[in-house]
Amino acid sequence: MRHHLKAGGATLLIGLLAGSMPALADFWSDAGAKFQGVTLHGVTESTPPSNYVKDVLAPEFTEKTGIKVEIETTSWDQMYDKAIKDMEAGTGIYDMVYIEQDIIYAYLARNFLVDITKALADDPSLKAPDFSEEAFTSFADYFKNADGDLMGLPMEAFIKIYLYRTDLFNDPEIQAAFKEKTGKDLKPATTHEEYTEIAEFFTEWGQGKDIWGTTAQAHTGHPASWYEFFESIAPTFGVYNWGIDADNNYAASVANGGRMNSDEAKAALKYWLHLRDIAPPESAASTWTETATTFAAGRAAQGLIYGENAAWIASDPEKSRVVGNVGVALPPTEPGVLEQVEAGEGYIGYYDGGAFGLPITSKNQEAALLFLQYIGQDSVQGPWAVAGSRITNTATYDDPAVQELDKKLGGYFTMLRDQGKLFAGAPPFPFHAQVREATAPIFYEILTGAIEPDAGLDQMAAKAEEELTNLGYRK
Amino acid sequence: MRSNKVGWLLLTPTLLLLGVFGILPFIYVLFLSFHQWNPFGASPDRIFIWGNNFRRLVFDGEFLLSIWVTLKFAFFAVFSEIVIGYLLAQLFMREFPGRAVFRTIHTLPLIVAPIVVGSVWRLMTTPSIGIIPYYANQLFGIDINIGRDAGTAFMFTVIMDIWHWTPLVTLTLLAALLSLPKEPFEQAQIDGASRAQIFWHITLPMIRPAILATVFIRLMDALRTVDEVWMLTGGGPGAATRYIGLHIWKVVFPKTDYGYGSAISVIVLYLTLVMCWMLYVGLVAPRNKGN
Amino acid sequence: MRPSNPWLNVALWVILSFTTLFPIYWLFVISVKPAVDLFTTPSVILDTVYWRNYVEVFHDPTLRRYMTNSLIVSTGNAVLCSVLAFMACYALSRYDIGGKENIFFWTITNRMAPAAVFLLPFFLLFTKVFVIGDFKLYDTRIGLILLYSTFNLPFAIWTLRPTIDGIPRELDEAATVDGASTWQTIREVIWPLAKPGLAVTFILIWVFAWNEFLLAATLTSFNARTITTGLSEYVTTTGTEWGKMAAISIFTLIPALIIFSMVQRHIVAGLTFGAVKE
Repeated sequence: MRHHLKAGGATLLIGLLAGSMPALADFWSDAGAKFQGVTLHGVTESTPPSNYVKDVLAPEFTEKTGIKVEIETTSWDQMYDKAIKDMEAGTGIYDMVYIEQDIIYAYLARNFLVDITKALADDPSLKAPDFSEEAFTSFADYFKNADGDLMGLPMEAFIKIYLYRTDLFNDPEIQAAFKEKTGKDLKPATTHEEYTEIAEFFTEWGQGKDIWGTTAQAHTGHPASWYEFFESIAPTFGVYNWGIDADNNYAASVANGGRMNSDEAKAALKYWLHLRDIAPPESAASTWTETATTFAAGRAAQGLIYGENAAWIASDPEKSRVVGNVGVALPPTEPGVLEQVEAGEGYIGYYDGGAFGLPITSKNQEAALLFLQYIGQDSVQGPWAVAGSRITNTATYDDPAVQELDKKLGGYFTMLRDQGKLFAGAPPFPFHAQVREATAPIFYEILTGAIEPDAGLDQMAAKAEEELTNLGYRK
Repeated sequence: MRSNKVGWLLLTPTLLLLGVFGILPFIYVLFLSFHQWNPFGASPDRIFIWGNNFRRLVFDGEFLLSIWVTLKFAFFAVFSEIVIGYLLAQLFMREFPGRAVFRTIHTLPLIVAPIVVGSVWRLMTTPSIGIIPYYANQLFGIDINIGRDAGTAFMFTVIMDIWHWTPLVTLTLLAALLSLPKEPFEQAQIDGASRAQIFWHITLPMIRPAILATVFIRLMDALRTVDEVWMLTGGGPGAATRYIGLHIWKVVFPKTDYGYGSAISVIVLYLTLVMCWMLYVGLVAPRNKGN
Repeated sequence: MRPSNPWLNVALWVILSFTTLFPIYWLFVISVKPAVDLFTTPSVILDTVYWRNYVEVFHDPTLRRYMTNSLIVSTGNAVLCSVLAFMACYALSRYDIGGKENIFFWTITNRMAPAAVFLLPFFLLFTKVFVIGDFKLYDTRIGLILLYSTFNLPFAIWTLRPTIDGIPRELDEAATVDGASTWQTIREVIWPLAKPGLAVTFILIWVFAWNEFLLAATLTSFNARTITTGLSEYVTTTGTEWGKMAAISIFTLIPALIIFSMVQRHIVAGLTFGAVKE
């Protein structure tokens, strides 16, 4: 039902556009005429933004152009495996594949993708008048190759932010108790020390009330915990790119010039392990999904949460008990780090998302280019942003529906727009999953307590270098 | 014996099907296991490296640990399933009202897809809010945390497997019990044999092939378990439930290390084969030869 | 068997059924709760029921298509494997085929392969080798049926062999003396007597095919997707939709139960060995 309403809204919007600019509406049917009988196949992860493409944008596109679109949505691992098998074996099953921001460098290294900028320049008849690469936010830069050409069409973008419960933080009694205990005013933390203090306070205060001081994405057998540490915690201590130095022969250990086992990384790990210990007990089995649910169930006073979940936590009463009580802030950092990041070095958190790419093995590249441009237009973005809480085009921030939602989200979209530059995507490594999986088993052992944190990071740095040597990147 | 031609004719479709879909992929995997091939390595090409993958295996602590926990898991799970499954099958041999209904109820776990079984058990065992840890804590004051304690996680994977697969054992053993001739039992009762004697000297020898077949099937399936455990623990805490199927999955899917993954698969296949062959030669084959 | 009070058995089974049913009951509980309620203090009793998950699942035409695919693939696979295995077991049991014990053992080795790596050769076979014109085995139901046979046919052979071996040869011989052809013997003597074993084999293969996930997920894309692969669409990085996943699972129990009760009747049809005595 919700989808139908949105589809109606989108159609209305397109209808208005078509009314004022008839030439635009004609472009799609003219361009589509050449590809009658073509069916485009796409594979993507089954997330709200992708489902919106499948349920709303694809049928709309088919109606306008006559080109059929079949989008297969599946779990992340399956999507990744199927896309790679297809492109590696050159079977040409897919005309569109979802590219998570962290896999783009691997695909680029293998020349799996069609250069969208170049393809459109080569055949101007395919260029949609309402499509412009300039319309995208800076997030699109992650999907550009060395020449600055667009290799994937951004469709999903969010940052991992600091969420806190405004009802708890603004409660005068709690404020007084906090003041009495710590001598400070209760407000969202900006440093790790403050964050720890607040977390400790709430865990103690919440005993018997089922409230804890923080979330922790600390699953002991799932890479979510590895990601929370390397992409959200370590950077706020000044350790970027997992502590691997790409310009220095991919060094990871301090001895070789890397920072994976640096003092900062070790301090970061101990800070986070402490938070894990005062987080709700389910944290040891929590991935990104469960931390969000923990927060939504009202079991945590604050936490680092992915933006795609922040939206439903703050606005969907069916899934969340804390609707209207959610505040957003920048993740707390170590003194000096924020200044360093603002000066342009490093980042304080993860800017995640994905794009649709066009595999070089596709047999319907022209028709697929049309579809990619269709979903990249400013005009289709508004309802899509509301449905999937993702923004990829600059103009979308000004959409009234988006601004309305932004208010409910405690200013999440505003933060994405104004402070998005402080966040960064995954490091530009073509070996993302490989090094993660090589080092993760050691990380899990640190979490279970089988290995000491310091010794564990030393082992992980050594393991990362070993794997990189094995893969042939480290000489 | 009648014309063997007819016998071969009856076997042909099976041999053909298994030949095409069983042997061809195996040859390919065997071929890969002698190569270094990671599409996302610095060099994405397949490079022939003789037996290096196998040499690497022998010193791979993660792999060896995984084999060890898998064997432990398979032993506890399969052993319990056979014992419980046999007892339940015997119970179903009795006449009582509503037998068909109970039999249907008892087969229900089989119909639930492994990925869903994993999800349900995961939600039931989520620390502090899952129904099992919650009541364990409320009623007995026991703290169950599947994310922190390796033993607990291991135990739950075994219990989950028993819950899911015991019905299979019950059904196969029930079929075997149903097809036993009656006379030996009647004769034994007339001779005044005790229940234990009947079990050890008549029932067990007669259903031994069926038990063995069931053990084989459960054993090799337990060794290949992926979906349920992936959902329940993800292989954690640490490597406590990183069973070999899941381990291979992690090497092949996220790490895209096809060469090394193939080598592990070949070795695991070989180990499974040897284990089953020894069981088979020791327990089944001599009997069949006697026929 | 020793006679005992039937009601004691009933009482015992009621207790056992509780253990068996609890996780399934919990699956149902999950399906009728909003997600947020799964992460709060649990309660064994359902106080409020939330039907939204079922409504959404019921109105989803793709899920109906997945369900049809699953039914066709599972039933097709179970029929194919049961028939082929019956033939093979009869051959192994009654004919003096050279090296038959080795063949018998070899069949089961096909089930031992850890699936993850074998996906790659299967993928290549399905997309590049078995291609006739525009037809590929990839993303077809027949492709899945054949593929599952690799794992399920050995299983069927191994579970049926004890049953066929257990059917006394005197019956075959008596039939032959009466002038019956091989085909008549198989159809009129062996097949009816093997029914309990066949029924169990059929059910279990059906279940294996119905539940298979990894192969179906990789080797189908749009047309032949099965319900288990459909379930994985609810496990995502933004969150596992436990409720909908559970609702679909409960939903899928229905066709499975119907098939089960149809086939289970044949399990009791055994115990006909009185024939030998006379």
